[in-house]
Formats: sequence, structure tokens, C-alpha cells
Amino acid sequence: MIEILFNSLLAGLLISPALTLLAFRSRIARHLPATVQLVALIAGASAALVVLVSNLRHTVDIYWLSPFPFTLAVDRLSAFFLLLICAVSVPVVLYSTAYIARHYSAQRQRWFWTLFPLFLLSMVLVVTADTAFAFLFGWELMTLFSAALVMLDGCEGERRRNLFIYLLMMHAGAAAVFGAFLGFLPNTGLLEFASLRASAPFLAPAMRTAIFLLAFIGFGTKAGIVPLHLWLPKAHPIAPSPVSALMSGIMLKTAIYGFIRVTFDLLGGGPAWWGYLALAAGAVSALLGVLYALSERDLKRLLAYSSVENIGIIYLGLGAALIFSAQQVPQWAALALTGALLHALNHALFKTLLFLGAGAISDSTHTLDLEKLGGLFQKMRVTGTIFLVACCSIAGLPLFNGFASEWLVFRTFIAGGDLPGAGASIVLLVAAGVLALVGGLAASCFAQLYSAAFLGRPRTQEAARAHDVPKPMQIAMALLAATCIVIGVAPSLAAGPIGAIAQQLVPGAVAIPASDLLFMPWVACFVVVAAAIWLLIPRISRITPTWACGMPGLNSRMQYTATALSKPLRKVFAAVYRPDRTVRTVPSDQPFFPASISYRSVRTTSFERSLYRPAVDSIVVAAKRLRRMQTGNIQVYLLYMFLALVAALICMRFV
Amino acid sequence: MSTTIDVLQFLIIVGIAPLIRGVISRVKARIQNRRGASIFRPYADLWKLFHKEDLIPSTASPFFRVCPMILFAATIAGAALVPVLHASSLLGNRGDIILLAYLFALGRFFLVLGSQDGGSAFGGMGAGREALVSTLAEAPLLFGLIAVAVTAHTTSIAGIVGWTAARHPLELSSVHAFAFAALVLVTIAETGRVPVDNPTTHLELTMIHEAMVLEYSGPSLALIEWASATKLSLMFALIISLFAPWGIVTGGSVLGIAIALAAYLPKIGLLVVFVAALESSMAKLRMYLVPEFLGIASALSVLAVVFTVFKR
Repeated sequence: MIEILFNSLLAGLLISPALTLLAFRSRIARHLPATVQLVALIAGASAALVVLVSNLRHTVDIYWLSPFPFTLAVDRLSAFFLLLICAVSVPVVLYSTAYIARHYSAQRQRWFWTLFPLFLLSMVLVVTADTAFAFLFGWELMTLFSAALVMLDGCEGERRRNLFIYLLMMHAGAAAVFGAFLGFLPNTGLLEFASLRASAPFLAPAMRTAIFLLAFIGFGTKAGIVPLHLWLPKAHPIAPSPVSALMSGIMLKTAIYGFIRVTFDLLGGGPAWWGYLALAAGAVSALLGVLYALSERDLKRLLAYSSVENIGIIYLGLGAALIFSAQQVPQWAALALTGALLHALNHALFKTLLFLGAGAISDSTHTLDLEKLGGLFQKMRVTGTIFLVACCSIAGLPLFNGFASEWLVFRTFIAGGDLPGAGASIVLLVAAGVLALVGGLAASCFAQLYSAAFLGRPRTQEAARAHDVPKPMQIAMALLAATCIVIGVAPSLAAGPIGAIAQQLVPGAVAIPASDLLFMPWVACFVVVAAAIWLLIPRISRITPTWACGMPGLNSRMQYTATALSKPLRKVFAAVYRPDRTVRTVPSDQPFFPASISYRSVRTTSFERSLYRPAVDSIVVAAKRLRRMQTGNIQVYLLYMFLALVAALICMRFV
Repeated sequence: MSTTIDVLQFLIIVGIAPLIRGVISRVKARIQNRRGASIFRPYADLWKLFHKEDLIPSTASPFFRVCPMILFAATIAGAALVPVLHASSLLGNRGDIILLAYLFALGRFFLVLGSQDGGSAFGGMGAGREALVSTLAEAPLLFGLIAVAVTAHTTSIAGIVGWTAARHPLELSSVHAFAFAALVLVTIAETGRVPVDNPTTHLELTMIHEAMVLEYSGPSLALIEWASATKLSLMFALIISLFAPWGIVTGGSVLGIAIALAAYLPKIGLLVVFVAALESSMAKLRMYLVPEFLGIASALSVLAVVFTVFKR
């Protein structure tokens, strides 16, 4: 049963690129690749569900195909992420069938349908890999295919630079991940996860620390924790919307999977400071992510920063789990891990939905600049309603799924108050305060986003001429929105099975108090009934012009923009932003009677300025010095090779 | 029986909310040497508004009318979490402090949406300022509640109230004192009272909450007014139940309930007089001094949380 389902997932994703190349010309077979992918993804999701329910492990060995041990295995943790990938991709594929055809030439469409299933396949490889080789193979392919998909929109100028930063940081991260796996090798010599796991207890403490730090940096780069997030707001916004959706919604989660796999499963947990490190990284990412999102006016870049924030929340949960397990409180560690995993699932759902919604907005208005939108709800009722669900979910409002996972994380932080060590208690309780502040900022951010884009008056002609998107796109988004509401109203449906995974990963954990979330359905009924009562009461209403202090001619330039809305908060947190402002008045000698005045505010993030710029500069300087070695003379190169060989031999002799 | 009590205490919070407003303005009037309106005036206002027509701005979407309903529903759902007479509440004993804080956020989120729908400058003005106040108030609110929850070893509000009610007043420590001070400041900010916001102002440029609801009229405005009155009443009830619940009953006898009610009313009276005196003796703060006001609340709540750890 699982075999058939899982193999059809792999087979479907493998053959659909070939189908695209063969059958794209024909009008009838045009939708064949998408259909095959849908079937494959549904099969994959079912396989994952079967594993989650039955807890049977399923392995596929394809050593015969590869030079190194290459095994895929689906255990509960893999199955959860497999479900996340497959289930969330189904609506994305459905959406793409309409979206891609409307936006790209036939040739680019063919590229899209060739690369897209391969990108999905690489992510499936990552989460089901059972050997280090298979994992790294999938990890590299994931970067390359996603970069190729980003190039679908072209790669000129600024885009090329952003893509370069993406590839560069991904490869630096991959090198760290590679190093983490190499760290196991002196003790085992085998690449299977089972033997890595078995060798972990015999590793020297220094080596365990090194492996953890490398995994933390490597996976952190992919996940986008601050300050390794630099690529994220550059690469995500320039991809086609369905690809951004996959990159933000799903690809980031593979890094969470990798971190959990290495830290919790292979290494089996560690000292408390690992937890503090993850917690600190999570707190900084969550806070800075949401603050940067708040000041952003490009919709997709805003969503990318909000991904940094949500990854931060996931790391807060993971950090708490590590601290609790180091303090020997396994049941709370399991609950914190449940919170982190549930938030990973929730973020996959609503962030994918938000990026698809952003695609719908740009499809209909040709812009993603929040200052040029407005009043879209009148023209795009379905998309507007769905987008509201996504905004409520990501803002962590009760009755929507974001609340359930934030609640779990909060609950574990408060439980930290009962820990024996005063330090751990204070740290966890303070983290609860950070999460509260982040929650408040996120709610403001998304209320502003929604009102700037969908409410009020249209700010440009394009926004005024908006129209709703085709049915397949609406259905795809509605599927995701419905899932958000179901998990929000009945979180135990998801928290129960996820709790079982967490229990397996944290040794000694007993039953999870996820039943505490059982109040949600009652709250939902209460709120819905209390709100609905008023709809039934008949009342007279009349449409009037908006109040403009008694003067006529209120226009769209008089309403608050997204930038104006966030001004008070930006002013309070000015220390974080430190924008470069230039005000130019012409003529400059008459500041109070200008003929024209221009204002420009640029926010280079302080990381770029104070962390990356010096690093890049010093690399360039070092490279210039090294250039002297490049003589172009072949004898000299032969000498280098000989010296390198001798050095290696000497090393081997003494190690 | 216990369900009846839960419904009763829910109705008390929602029902006496306009009365609390009326009494505050009456006490303020007396302090300012005026006679003042009847304390039942807010009920008459609500009645009047519910019978007027709803004016809807021409740019508004259907959300415009739905937002006040969701605000009201979320606020009274919060009211259903707080015990008044009996150490239990309508939405189950599991309904906890985190849910309460986030229900406020739910209502506020939709109020911000509603305020933007008119497409005028005032809605945005109010929404941006409200975002500032409420965002900065969120952390001290939760911190204050967390400090009490950690001391009582439960996050359920009814559980905390039961724990406190079983203790002697002198057993409560610095944690409760700091958390109390923080929550009082947060209440002032969250419910838009002087010195953070002036609920009776008539100048659009200085408004926070009132600027947001400027476009609303008739039944929609009535719902918003009632919801914000309920929020004040709810915060009062929460402060009383968390920090001075004595008199609250655990059994279910009618006499006990009567005593609990008799004990509750003077406590709420004290808070009402405090707010009225504060509003009469202070001017509204400048907008960018509000973060400092909330900074004090945050500092107090952080102290409360830190003390929970050293006190055990």
C-alpha cells in the first residue's frame, strides 16, 4: 500500500518533465503533466498519512543507481514533512495551471512544467533521505532547481545580482551542512542515518558541538534566521508567484526538518546552551523579521520578511524543546516541539496562500506596490475574502490556525516558569514576552497590508480596473484557506498526530497535553454565534459620502497609505531601521518656498552594512592578493599540485 | 447550577459595562463641580443608536458592517472567560490568558479593517495610532498575566482565581503588586482612557480610538461603543478577580452568590473612582510619550515575571 503510493509519487514527479517535453505542443495533452503531478502529489500525501497513522517505516533502496548508498525512508518525522510538501503543493500546481498560462510564453511555460516537478522531487528527496549522500544530493538539487525557476522571469541587472547572492549563500550553507555530516564519519565510516545515529553517543563532545554548530549555521542559512536571512527578501520576491509560494511555504521547512533530524534524531539532543542559541536566534529573527516586514511596501518582499519572522517563531519552539530536554522535562520538550512542527505546517499553509494571493493581485493589477493598490475587495470578492483568511491566520488571531501553534509555544514558555533553574526560567519567560510583542506587531502589519491593498479607495487606475482571477486559481486558494480555518477551529486534529511525532523524538516523553486546545471549537461557536446574531436583526442603512470635514472632493491621495499607517510604529522602533533619508529642495537656498521638493528614504538593513559589507570587502582584498599566485605558467601549476599532494600525504601520516 | 452562575457573571460583565461608563463620567462631573448626566445615560445612548439608520460610506465594502459585529463578538467572548462571582467561567476552565489577549487582538484587527474602509484620512490616522498603543501594550498585558499564572501554576483564568481566592491577602507577594500595577496601566492604554486617549474628545486630529470609528453610525456605532465599554468592564473584572478575588464563591448557594455580588460591587466602585480621579487630574499625554507610559508598564511586568522565579 505505502509502497505503491510512495513509488507513484516518485514516478509521477520523474516522468512529468519528460511528458512536458514530449506533449506540450499538443493542445489536448497540454494539461497532462499537471494532472500527473496532481495525482502523484495526492498519492504522496496519502502515503504520508498512512505512515503517520500506522507508524510503519517504509524504505526504498536505489543503491544500484548511485555510487554511494542511496536509500529513501519514510518514518513519522519524514512523513509529516512529506505530507506538508505534497498537500501544500497540490493547490500550487492547480493554481499554476491557470497562472503560468496567463503570464508566460509557450517556451517559458514548458520550462516551468519541466523544472517545477523536479523542484518538488528534490524537496521530497531531502525529507525522505535515509543516507547522508541522498540528503545532500536532494539539498543541492533543491537550490539549483529553485534558482532555475527564479530565472524564469529573466535574469538581468538587479535580478542577476539577487540570484547570485541566493546561490552564494545557499552554497555556503550547503558546505556547512556537508561539514556537519562529515563530522560523523571518523566514528562510523558509513553514510546511512542509522549508523550515524548509532555512532552519535560515542562522538567526542567537541565533535558533537562542531556538528551542532555546523548544522545550525547550514540549516539556519536555508531557513533564513537573522543574520543569515539576507538572501531571503532578495530571492523570494523575484520568483514567479507559485515558485515564491513553494520557496517560502515549503522549501524553508526542509531546513527545519534538517535541523530537527540532525539535532533531535541523529545527535539525540544536547546541552542546554544549544537550546539557548536556537532560542536567541529565533527571538532575534522573529522580532527583526516582523519589524522589517512592517516597513515594507512591496507586497512580496513584505511576505518574505514575514517568513523570517515565522521561522523565528519555529526556532523559538525548537529552542524551548532543546532547553526542556536538557533540563530533563521531556513532556514539555515534546509539547514545544509539537508547537514548532505545527507552526511549520501552519506557516506552510498560510504563507503559500499569501504568495498565491499576491500572484492573484499582480495578475489583476500588474503591480505589487502597496501604495498603488487599494479598494481591491470591491473588484475581487473571492480573492479578497480568501486573502483575509490568510492575513488573520498569519496574524495569529484566534479561530485561525496561526493561533493554535503560537498558543502551544506560549504555553511551553509559561511552563518554563516551573523549571528548577532560575536562569532557564527567566529566559523562557522573557521569550514569551518577545513572542507577545511579535504577535502584536504581526497583527498590526497584516491589518495594514490588508487595508492598504483591499479596502478604501483604489489609488491608481490599475487598481480601479482590477478583476477577479480565473476559477482554478480561486479554487486552489480556497482549498488552502479552508485548511487554515479547519486547523484553527479544531487544532487538536493536527496537534494530536504531531504530538505523537514529538513524543518519538524526545526520549521519555509521556502523553502530550494537546487536549488543552480543546477549548477552541467552543470559542469558535461562541464568537460566530455572537457575531451572527446581529446579522439577523433587520436595520435600515443608507449609502453616504465619506466624512471630509464638510468639504467636497475627498480623493484617494487623502487616505492613509501603508507607509503612513506604520509611521508611528516605525518612529518608535527607529533605532532598528536607521534609514538613509535625503530631502532635496529646489532651489536649495529657499527652503520655505521650494519650486520642487523630492524625498527619498532607503533602508539598507544594518546587517548588510555592518556585517556583510566588511566580510565581502575582506574577501575581495584576499582574492586580489591571491591573484599573484595565478601566473598562467603551467609548470607553476604542476608545482602547486605536487606541493598539495605532499602536504596531503604528510597530513595523512600524522592524523 | 454552575452554568447558570457562569451565564450570570458573563451577563454582569457585559450588562453593567455601560453603567461603569456612566458612573465614571458622573464622578468626573462631580470632581469638576458639574452636575453631570444620569449614570444610565450610556444605556439611553445605545438604545438611541440601535434605532437609527446605518450610514455606510460609498467606498465601503461589505466588511464595513461585519467588522463591528466581530469586534463585539470577540470582546464578549473575552468576557465569557473571566470569573466574577464564582471561580469558573462560561467558556470552560481551559480558556486561558493567552486566548484572552488574542481575542482582544482579533477584535482590534477587524476594527482597523473597518476604519480603513471609508477611505478617508481619519480612519488611517486612528488605526496607525491604535496599532502603536495596542502593539506596545500587548507585551505588558501578557507579561502581567504570565507572572500571575506562573505563581499559580496554571494558565487558566478560573484556575488562577481559585488559587488566589484560597490564599490570605497578606500571602500575596511583590509579584502580584508589580503585575497589578502593570495591568492597571495596560487597562488605561487598552481601553483608551486619559492619559493615553481621551474618549470624550471632539477634535479629530487628537483622536485615537474615536478617529477609527468616525465613519460609523447607528447600530454599528452602538456595537462598537458597547464593545469598548465591555472591554473596560472586562479589564476591571479581570483585575479584581486576579488580585482581589476574596468574596468569590466556590460552592453554588444563592446566599454565597449574593455575598459575592455584594463584595464585587464595592471593588469595581473603587476602580471607577480611581479612573475618574485620574482622568480629572491628568492631561492627555503627547502621542510619542505613550510608548514611555507603556514602557513603565513593561518594566513593571518584567519585574513581576523575574520575581516569580526568585520567589519560589
